[in-house]
Amino acid sequence: MHGKFDGLGRFADPSLLILTSLSDGPKHGYAIMTDIAAFSGVSMEPGTLYGALSRLERRGWIRPLAAGERRRPYEITAAGQEVLAEQLRSMQQIVRVGRQRTATA
Amino acid sequence: MKPALADRLSRAVVGCYPRRWKQRYAAELLDVLDQHRARLRTVLSLAGGAMSTHLDPDYRMQLRLMPHLSRDAKLYIAIIAAIIVGVPALVILPMIPRAIRESRWQPSGSDSVGAIAFSRDQRTMVSATGGPPWEATSTLWDVTDQARPRRLSVFEGGSPATISPDGATVATNAFGGRAEAALWNVTRPRHPVRLAVLSAGLSGALWGEAFSPDGRILAAASTTGLVLWNVADPARPRLLRSLAAAPLRSDDPGPVPFGVSQGDLVFSPDGRMLASVSGRDQVTLWNVTRPALATRIATLAGPRDYFAALAFSPGGNLLAGVTYHGSVLVFRVAGPGRPVRVTTRPGILASARFPGGGDAPASPCGPGPGCRVPAAYAAGFTPDGRALTVVIDRPEAWPGMAARDTVFTWQVSGSGALSDLTTIFRDVSDAQPILAPGDRIVADGSLTGGEVHLWTLP
Repeated sequence: MHGKFDGLGRFADPSLLILTSLSDGPKHGYAIMTDIAAFSGVSMEPGTLYGALSRLERRGWIRPLAAGERRRPYEITAAGQEVLAEQLRSMQQIVRVGRQRTATA
Repeated sequence: MKPALADRLSRAVVGCYPRRWKQRYAAELLDVLDQHRARLRTVLSLAGGAMSTHLDPDYRMQLRLMPHLSRDAKLYIAIIAAIIVGVPALVILPMIPRAIRESRWQPSGSDSVGAIAFSRDQRTMVSATGGPPWEATSTLWDVTDQARPRRLSVFEGGSPATISPDGATVATNAFGGRAEAALWNVTRPRHPVRLAVLSAGLSGALWGEAFSPDGRILAAASTTGLVLWNVADPARPRLLRSLAAAPLRSDDPGPVPFGVSQGDLVFSPDGRMLASVSGRDQVTLWNVTRPALATRIATLAGPRDYFAALAFSPGGNLLAGVTYHGSVLVFRVAGPGRPVRVTTRPGILASARFPGGGDAPASPCGPGPGCRVPAAYAAGFTPDGRALTVVIDRPEAWPGMAARDTVFTWQVSGSGALSDLTTIFRDVSDAQPILAPGDRIVADGSLTGGEVHLWTLP
């Protein structure tokens, strides 16, 4: 796991989960949390979520949409989709190699 | 960690983020916290996030003042600072009065709830709507389980309404809207039976009703007078005394402008005195030791502001009043000498102007959704008499102020001095609060939504 995620350090996993969550459409904070819990089983806390959201927004991988009363939905940008695709390819490679090696061990 | 404490800590930690970060994200984050069940890990996650954000170059503000320090040194400083602040906070926060323990809304009709009253054992509650007299209803509730009030029955007659201390009789504004009270037998709570209609020639809107502590006397007040009934046998009530309202000052604008159930009428715990809001800045104290010969003891003056809620101390020697502007006054009403004011706390709303622009509520203001009461009030002493609780509900329309239900609690000395104020806030608006006997349950009757909200003070 390297490349564009370099520099995110321990925030890489939350960022990946958030980008994955937003890849099927805009969502606000709590909807992202519940979606991530549903598809990955990861119970992300609000502090982690907003730490990652602010970093992703700064990097231009997500963008905020017009806010409702207090809720602001976010959508993934083209750059974010590109980063996500690259990250998933990298993970697929890891999965493929890991399966091969565990199968032959 | 209890969810309520975790939730409060989480919100407190949100305040620790850098200001610029908060301006951008705090509202969203608080919205998420509104929906999220907070746990210890929520607090830790936010604390870690706040610390990381402070170290983030984009948000790092103060640490830039120490450019000679390494990143690690700054991290250590931040950790030490967090410990210095966090450890005392963990000790102090549990000492702060806990948040409201329970809250439930239950529908009781579509009109505004103008009055709520409890039986002495707090098991039975009556709520009455303040809508048009021909539509007004009263609802009897079983509140044995405060988290799940059960509606027992609905019957005609609306606000003002009260229930006898033994919970057997309910007095309502008589159906029809004249200044008459109706008595209902609610010993079979699902099948109330109207026993009598009490009429004593009062004119004006009926605004207050109160049973004496022994339940034998019912006082009813309109804008023009006060009547006492013997209701020892509620099926055969006897008129005991009809009293004129206290003389109004020459500069008084007119009748007391009570709307819905604002204003108050309370018996002393021994049943020998009756206090009634009687005019602008006035409370009249009546000697009702012999109700048929009731006489005025004194007219107690407050600031130039209407009284909205009254409460006797359990010993009966003190009378507390709260005014429309939120001033709290304590009078010594027993003992040698004439009643005297011993404490005045300026109102929290003293600088506010009432809707309409004046320094007093619009006058007159009758029951019904069209009448917007500027704020609503309740007052009560704890059973040991050592604390006084005042509840003030501010409507959303209050200029420049958020809609918050504020519960003030003071320690009360034997002489009536108030000290050690504590406050609890709750976001409830447009509600008429009532303190149940015992001073730990507040019932809010919605002035706009026809609901009753029960909550328990810590």
